[in-house]
Amino acid sequence: MVVLVAERRDRAAFARLFDYYAPRVHAYLLRLRLDPVAADEITQEVMTTLWQKAALFDRSKSSVATWLFRIARNRRIDAHRREREEPPIDGAILDIPDPAQMPDDKVNAAQRDLMVRSALDLLPAEQLELVRLAFFEGFSHSEIADMTGVPLGTVKSRLRLAFSRLRRALDDGGLDR
Amino acid sequence: MTIRHHPSDDMLQAYAAGTLDEGQRIAVATHMRTCARCSGWVSALEQVGACMLERLPPTAMSMDALDRVLGRLSALPPPPAGAIFDDVPGLPAFVRRYRFGQWTWVGPGVHLRPIELPVDSPTRVFLLKAVPGTRMLQHSHTDLELTCVLSGAFRHQGGYFGPGDFDLGDEDVEHQPLVEPGEDCICLVAMQGKLRLSGLLGRLMQPFVRL
Repeated sequence: MVVLVAERRDRAAFARLFDYYAPRVHAYLLRLRLDPVAADEITQEVMTTLWQKAALFDRSKSSVATWLFRIARNRRIDAHRREREEPPIDGAILDIPDPAQMPDDKVNAAQRDLMVRSALDLLPAEQLELVRLAFFEGFSHSEIADMTGVPLGTVKSRLRLAFSRLRRALDDGGLDR
Repeated sequence: MTIRHHPSDDMLQAYAAGTLDEGQRIAVATHMRTCARCSGWVSALEQVGACMLERLPPTAMSMDALDRVLGRLSALPPPPAGAIFDDVPGLPAFVRRYRFGQWTWVGPGVHLRPIELPVDSPTRVFLLKAVPGTRMLQHSHTDLELTCVLSGAFRHQGGYFGPGDFDLGDEDVEHQPLVEPGEDCICLVAMQGKLRLSGLLGRLMQPFVRL
């Protein structure tokens, strides 16, 4: 689909990508506590970037979802700056990592995606929930302790455990050298 | 090249989540440029983020969102090219587009070149170049200091730091780096707060060392 967008500038393919991903990117930005109008605006920017940079996207290196996650993260940082009336930086240059920053080709993006998914599914529910809150939704450890009623020390140790389990699972899978 | 010293897991997670400040982001990105282990882990974390994003229940956007984006597509300017600054190897491409100041003398055998961040950041970023044999003054930091070695090497109480190695200093770390023989040591430094020189000489020097 991204290939159609890149090579043929195919608007119908773009619209299908939009229908699937835009409401999810939007949901992610709402989770980061953006107001709905800002989330709408940034989602439009993210999808516009997909159109602009489709030719630079390498699907052997990353999945579309990972690429969009990265763009959404970068656009949110830019938007935060606009709010504080700082000059925007060309955050766009971060959307496509340096080739040197990408993992090698021992396993392809699809295989890696599968490994990440299964590693996540193997985490105990309470650890997965903490990873979601701390990493994905950006809450601080003490905010999480307040929200969940789990003592701060336990939040920290569970998170450490969760990340080291993920890392071990992905290391074993040859993700990492 | 063997990299022995890496950013902490917390710092890599914050990088992937997008919560590091600009200066720290540059230091971590510079390390990842040469470190397959850390860049592999960060892209795995980005995949974790992507996986969570895909599993979210979609939320409704404004009715005309797609039309507005489609309307924009035809009028898009080509992506900006931007000049790439190329005389310091080892920096990530995005950093090479920032404005660099001039090399200035800060002490015997030591020069500093500021990198101008386009945004307000609690962290200042600069390149530091020291000739072999330079013994930096014994110092600690008022806040976090991140250092990534680009070329050459130094050594302090925490070990040997060569190209790609990542060093973290904070108020609890007191060290006195010595630049290893061979070539000039060039580091990218992201520093919050101020350097605190210790000892009588340090206190005497403090007003003169512009760090």
